[in-house]
Amino acid sequence: MKREEILLGNGAIALGLLEAGCQVVTSYPGTPSSEILPEVIRLVKSENLNTYVEWSTNEKVALDNAFAASITGKRAACCMKQVGLNVAADSLMSAAYLGTVGGLVIISCDDPGPHSSQTEQDTRLMARLAKVPVLDPSNPEEARKMVGLAMDLSEEFRVPVILRPAIRVCHARQNVAYDSLAPNTKKGAFEKDPLRWAATPRFRLILHGELNKKLKEIGKRFETLTQVNFHNLEPGRKYPLGIIAGGVPYAVIRDLLDEEKRTDLPVLKLGAPYPLPEALAYEFMGACDKALVIEETDTLIEYLLGDRKKVLGRLSGHVPPEGELVPQVIYRLLDRTLRELNLKGFEGEDETEATELVKSLKLPVRRPTLCPGCPHRASFFAIRKSRPKAIFTSDIGCYTLGMNLGVVDTCLDMGSAITMASGFYHAFTQDGVDQPIVATIGDSTFYHSGTAGLLNAVYNGARFILVILDNLTTAMTGMQPSPSMGIRADGSEGRAISLERIVAGCGIDFIEVLDPYDIKNMTEVLKKAAEYIQEPEGGIAVIIARHPCLIAYRAEAIPEKKKVSVTEECAECNFCIDRFECPAIYHDQELGRTSINAQLCASCGVCTQICPKGAIVEVA
Amino acid sequence: MNTINLVLCGLGGQGILFMTKVLAQVGLDNGYSVMGAETHGMAQRGGSVVSHLRLGNVQGSLVRTHEAPFLLALEENEAYRNLPFLAREGRLYVNTSSSLFPREEVRDFLARKGIVSRAVPAGKIALDLGAPMSSNLALLGFFSAFEDSPFDYDTLKQTVTQISPDRFREKNLSIFDAGHQKGKKA
Repeated sequence: MKREEILLGNGAIALGLLEAGCQVVTSYPGTPSSEILPEVIRLVKSENLNTYVEWSTNEKVALDNAFAASITGKRAACCMKQVGLNVAADSLMSAAYLGTVGGLVIISCDDPGPHSSQTEQDTRLMARLAKVPVLDPSNPEEARKMVGLAMDLSEEFRVPVILRPAIRVCHARQNVAYDSLAPNTKKGAFEKDPLRWAATPRFRLILHGELNKKLKEIGKRFETLTQVNFHNLEPGRKYPLGIIAGGVPYAVIRDLLDEEKRTDLPVLKLGAPYPLPEALAYEFMGACDKALVIEETDTLIEYLLGDRKKVLGRLSGHVPPEGELVPQVIYRLLDRTLRELNLKGFEGEDETEATELVKSLKLPVRRPTLCPGCPHRASFFAIRKSRPKAIFTSDIGCYTLGMNLGVVDTCLDMGSAITMASGFYHAFTQDGVDQPIVATIGDSTFYHSGTAGLLNAVYNGARFILVILDNLTTAMTGMQPSPSMGIRADGSEGRAISLERIVAGCGIDFIEVLDPYDIKNMTEVLKKAAEYIQEPEGGIAVIIARHPCLIAYRAEAIPEKKKVSVTEECAECNFCIDRFECPAIYHDQELGRTSINAQLCASCGVCTQICPKGAIVEVA
Repeated sequence: MNTINLVLCGLGGQGILFMTKVLAQVGLDNGYSVMGAETHGMAQRGGSVVSHLRLGNVQGSLVRTHEAPFLLALEENEAYRNLPFLAREGRLYVNTSSSLFPREEVRDFLARKGIVSRAVPAGKIALDLGAPMSSNLALLGFFSAFEDSPFDYDTLKQTVTQISPDRFREKNLSIFDAGHQKGKKA
């Protein structure tokens, strides 16, 4: 049955996977990739398909699982955000040599900006490093088609293929028409071939040779893959400037040139930029005096083209080296380049006046904050109160926002709360300095990459307090279940894995589980933990601060609603606003006093424990 | 058909995605191709949220500065923050109860660009009807009351009816209607 829906880019990618008969999809959540797997699950359920799905514990685990499915001959995919591919890099580099049997597509979503990531790294460069082909869609509809193309290429050339949608594809919405989906019933079979699947270095050299040969062939294929790689040169015509682009910048440029009715500027679109379709690129460059490469987020095509005299781009200073190439940025850089080459520029309006005006208004910066009632806020308050002089190592998740509360000093990568805590410990202990350290990490991040660091810290004798902020979900990326509850990606019952048992298994003797809503108790336990660290037989103290996330568990998270109010005792010292930063507590300009916003208040009652004057109280 | 660019903004949790969804569906039901860009992830935790919606045959999801004839803001400061997106002769719809809107400093700019700003206490309308989180629907209703809006009252109402979850449908429509009435009187 044909239907048309407005799908999120990630929904279009999910659709493309199932249309391509993908039988296994694994993923670890991370913005902007998080909605792909849930959209796959939605379609699998509504269309009665049999695709296996899982939230894996991390991206490397996800890729290894998908790879195994591929070498049984099934079509498999693995979805993650771009920095997740760093975690999966070990798997990726090796899988490129070993090759695939069934199609294997790795979807790694980039975040130019960055909006929600620790780097602006460009997945296309990872593809180059791993020597695997990469496709770069411009919008959801194209991403959907490219998924099928990637599957076909992967199967034909027996190599993993990367699809690199950027955030403006993943989180774009577009109308997409599609037909009913049918399950792929292909049965898996594993053909033993240890010289390939368990290759030793001697055979790896042979496999490397094979991979290089594949790349040459794929590069040739990309020259004729006109649905994704094409230009609009008129035969025989010469141009002073041509534009080479792929991905989201291509979409922006196409719209811009159409709006400005500029037929004098040809465009080469490279939706499949690596391996470079050389003949096609040189044909285009041959017709242009200069070629301006506009690519996101880093430099790939410009390097591959090589010709620094003819090619303009980031290396020549014509394209900003960092930040998202939003339409007005492309508009400006293109206009500047045109004028520099004595060509006609654009005639649109300059936005400087508007942006200067906005700047002069000194609008309040709306930094993201933890939600009203968030259990992390209670934990952070207790930690800062009890260990004010500590170095606070933290990690990736909602709780990175503890920075606003002065309780997050570092955030390097997934799992680094623990590894940096041990690193700090040894760096200071070497100097004979007794530096208190408190590490905070979320439950999902701990399952992702906490244990290796904790084992290392225990083994090498580090001492610090580790607080596992267990809100029983993966909150930041949209409430994906974590192993703590045992619910699986499709909602079915899995096996819960107890944090307490993992921590004990890592060799920790001090383990306390508490509810952070009771700040007094948590403060006392933190004191006990600090004492334990100092004992001759002491070590790392682990506190599991467990309280369900309010968004994921709603009413359940606050069984006893407490209505609160600010009394006349309030000294307007702003302590609660600065140190607790609950969105529901604010300074009412008209009344000239600290007040509670009843609409925002979650009625958790935690704030009744924080005011030095005791001026926040529960009311009937 | 000419492309219609809309920018919707506010704070995380105000229902900007729902408002965008309604307008996108209205566009689709009226024969437009739909392309939009949303904010997800960390910014949703109470931060500034912007949503772009483009109805027409376009490739890219983002609206360029000075290219949106319509800016819908669920919060006054976010309206100012996104002013650069508004086109000449654009229309600015804002949820605010402030009698001082628009701020003195921007009035001259708005006048020179021919931008018309229209304020509605959408938050108050929603609160009075017992759904404080539904200012988005009041603003949509308000938006539907003006002749220069791309879609009229009946069209928008039909889509709100269709998209609203069963248990919120009646309430959503009453808030939408209240917003519309305010617009009619304006």
